[in-house]
Amino acid sequence: MRDSKLRLARSFFAYRSASILLVFIGLVVFFAVFSQYRFISPANIKVLLAFGSEFTIVALGIGLLMVCGEFDLSVGSILVFCSFIFIRLFEMGVNLFLAGFITLGAGALVGFLNGLITTKARIPSFITTLGTMMLWRGVTLLLSLGRTRPFDTEVSPLLGSILTGKIGGVIPAQAIWFGAFGLVLGLVLHLHKFGNWVYATGDNKEAARAMGINTDRTKTICFMIVGILCAFVAVMQIVRVSTFSSRAGDGWELKAIAASVVGGTSLMGGIGSMVGIFLGALTISAIENGLVVMRISYFWTYIVFGLVIISSVLFGLYLERKRLGRG
Amino acid sequence: MTSSRGGKEERSLVRMVGIEKSFGKVQALKGLDFEVRPSEVVGLVGDNGAGKSTLIKVLSGYHLADKGEIYFEEKKVSITSSLDARKLGIETVYQEQALAPNMSISRNIFMGREPAKSLGFMDKKSMDRRSMEALESMGLHLRSADALIAMLSGGERQGVAIARVLHFKAKLVILDEPTIALSVKEAQQVLEFIKQLGKEGISVIFITHNLYHVFPSADRFVVLARGEKIADVEKKDTSVDELVELIIKPPSHN
Repeated sequence: MRDSKLRLARSFFAYRSASILLVFIGLVVFFAVFSQYRFISPANIKVLLAFGSEFTIVALGIGLLMVCGEFDLSVGSILVFCSFIFIRLFEMGVNLFLAGFITLGAGALVGFLNGLITTKARIPSFITTLGTMMLWRGVTLLLSLGRTRPFDTEVSPLLGSILTGKIGGVIPAQAIWFGAFGLVLGLVLHLHKFGNWVYATGDNKEAARAMGINTDRTKTICFMIVGILCAFVAVMQIVRVSTFSSRAGDGWELKAIAASVVGGTSLMGGIGSMVGIFLGALTISAIENGLVVMRISYFWTYIVFGLVIISSVLFGLYLERKRLGRG
Repeated sequence: MTSSRGGKEERSLVRMVGIEKSFGKVQALKGLDFEVRPSEVVGLVGDNGAGKSTLIKVLSGYHLADKGEIYFEEKKVSITSSLDARKLGIETVYQEQALAPNMSISRNIFMGREPAKSLGFMDKKSMDRRSMEALESMGLHLRSADALIAMLSGGERQGVAIARVLHFKAKLVILDEPTIALSVKEAQQVLEFIKQLGKEGISVIFITHNLYHVFPSADRFVVLARGEKIADVEKKDTSVDELVELIIKPPSHN
């Protein structure tokens, strides 16, 4: 009796990651076929991996934060704010690697602020980050006057190749970075003590606290990881596009939550896997790219996202009910 | 009020003296004395609002008493956090069990105290093995330490929560309504687990509304009403009916 319950539980989790993978493969096939195979052309794959990896790196952090039980709506604004910091440092002639690290520090600080307000003032993170979302973009718009600013990759070709080069002339560095971040965060979430604290904090915060886990610190660290990833991608993006744009990161917050949800992360916290988040992020990026390659109007993108999110959540609920029904 | 043991001087495990605690205008504890001896099971009973939960929360570090002292193993101690309490060997099994439903048994048992190899990566093998051992020692036979808490029955979950405190060498285990919302069979299972604790020489404070559950398990009963202790009797000197009477109609003080 118990045996079948356990087998069901295990298959539920294997099921979930497998089902996300199936959805992803299904999408790839769909886009490939309906774009006259442009979708899977080497040129497009390169673009998808290079461009799409920027968003997916940020999505990894959001997924982690959601497992911990919090949201961050300010990711797009953290990104644009850090972009501005980096471009100004570049304009002031600061060594670009140093500028990069300072930008990472800024991202960490902004994340820390999100965590501090959420945990100490006990404001739901949804609200906190709604505020900081507007704050940081507002500050950036004010300081940049909404204008774009140029970036010269020639100043540091080394930075350029580390962030946006192509390994063996083929594989975009951004994809490698995405894989590396995914691997590290995955190892931490699933195998490290801290990962256990993240799951505990998200699944039953009071239990975690009763067992001596510092849930405030755990959450704040997750917020900081999100901030750092946003800063990293901000720099990566400027190097790729050779421009600072005050519209960078626009709409990323909802795409990131969508990626996590598609990846099997629960909105209540405590449930999620890095593999799922990884695939969910890839799925969202693939959808964006696929619709373009199919020559479909960009306005359809949001409709498709909406449908994908709703069906993912419904599917997740269906699996959950099946599990509890038998359990 | 001291307990009626014929003149024998016994070391106490925990002694709380003159504990006062107020929440705003409400005085939850009015100068309470409370004692637990080694290897003793004490049933802490009383109606709602009597101060039972508050008293044990002071003992487990969740609240700080306004006045009064706590002695552990005859030494004066200061318990300002649940960490302090746990360091002394005082563990609490909460009503809500303090378990995370979507995590495995193993991850729950070692929550916050995960055994780690280098760089903080968890020693899963050790966790799983020790979890199974802790469960077995309670007579709880579950297939795998990987099972999720959500898959377990109420009685099994309590078993896991108790196995957790057993594993971490508690000297005093506080159980806050451990049989609430459990079926008859599950409640019996939990009472068996409590017997196991007794066998290991661990002291237990058992808070409950269900006198029929606690009566066979306890050595002694402490009855609280309105923040004061109104009775402290050995099991052999009382009965369930007597306790019920005391709880319903607490003698009024002048």
